[in-house]
Amino acid sequence: MSRVRTRDAAAFESLYDAYHRLVYGIAFRIVGEAAVAEDVTQTVFLKLWSAPERFDGGNFGGWIARVARNQALDIVRRKSHSETELSEAMPDSDLLEERVFSEIDAAQVRRAIAQLPAEQREPIELGFFGGITHAEIARRTGTPLGTIKTRIRTGLGKLRSALEGTVAV
Amino acid sequence: MNGHDAMLEDVAVYALGALPREQARAVREHLASCAECAAEYRRLKPAVDAVAYSAEACPDAASGAVVPNPRLKTRIMDEVRRSVPTRLSNVGEMRAVRPIVWPAYAVAAACLAVALITTAFNISLNEELHQTEAQVAQLGTHAKMLTRQVAAQNTELVDLTSSDSQHYAVEDGEVVRHGNRLYIAMDSMGTPPRGKVYQAWIMRKGAAKMTPSVTFMPDRKGIAVIHVPTQASQVAEVAVSMEPEGGSKQPTSKPTFIVKLT
Ligand SMILES: [Zn+2]
Repeated sequence: MSRVRTRDAAAFESLYDAYHRLVYGIAFRIVGEAAVAEDVTQTVFLKLWSAPERFDGGNFGGWIARVARNQALDIVRRKSHSETELSEAMPDSDLLEERVFSEIDAAQVRRAIAQLPAEQREPIELGFFGGITHAEIARRTGTPLGTIKTRIRTGLGKLRSALEGTVAV
Repeated sequence: MNGHDAMLEDVAVYALGALPREQARAVREHLASCAECAAEYRRLKPAVDAVAYSAEACPDAASGAVVPNPRLKTRIMDEVRRSVPTRLSNVGEMRAVRPIVWPAYAVAAACLAVALITTAFNISLNEELHQTEAQVAQLGTHAKMLTRQVAAQNTELVDLTSSDSQHYAVEDGEVVRHGNRLYIAMDSMGTPPRGKVYQAWIMRKGAAKMTPSVTFMPDRKGIAVIHVPTQASQVAEVAVSMEPEGGSKQPTSKPTFIVKLT
């Protein structure tokens, strides 16, 4: 990453190689269309290239995942013109975040998520990939808001423990 | 449930990115002053990152998202390489200094050798070039020093601009020989049609037929700097022609130029 800051195209290329599937995968999950997901991926990486200082340290994968989510949700929002109340974009910079998992393996995470009860998994995935607020999740699933909040917290906590058990920290 | 437990739940929803703006702001402010909630946020945030990672596209398509088309990378890397000289030209000090009169290809090569050079021979040079760029930018020195330093660390540019290089003018550029190294440096080549590339040819001394050499593409401005990976002392003639992608064993089109090295 420090070499990308010095505008080293070869270093940028290796970052692209390491993270483009993550960025593209998140974008695809949110926008649901390969061509649009490619556009999102291109925008995210070109932003990184033109303003690498936006990443101010910490967990690079987590950071670029947030940028990808924000970018993809932006596009969905621009298209939808709906009245749906939308959640706030995640801040790019997240000083509170620690680098906890040194390596996150997508397949392992998918297994851990699959093991969550559906009632916890659904609001978490809707919140993250759907970009809608907890109130909207409650409305769509016909569940009281308080219950949704509890399920999100419990589900994330379980996920955290499941990953701690298997992933180097 | 007391008020603070409710706040801890809001922290979880905040970490997931599913709070509306006003509430998100309230949680953010609270996090700055409440150690318990900040700890909860730190505990749950990696789980949210993990949710993000679960979407990573992989070739087995288990995620539902197949890997992106490889053309996407080409598109992005083209853009990245094209943007390097633009950024350099924004360095404040450069405006105040009269530009050094170099052929367009040499200026371009100083700024973005990466994009132009196709042979493996040159890859380590690019590393040095980019390190130099960074150092120079940090020092905030002006353009003259930048180009001089870059040139000093880059064999290729020294070769191209050295006073004891031999320059053979050809249409749209020149062939440059410095010692035993040989370059084709073009300023305004046309873009080949889809499926075609340029290919360099050399006639070895005493040979009767052209030998195929590297294939290459000019950038969008028609600039190309190519190191010909043959010892210059063995070469009698250099030519370039347009060929199908992958190159040919013999020229299949009229050369854009042939030049005798004397
Ligand atoms: Zn608190």
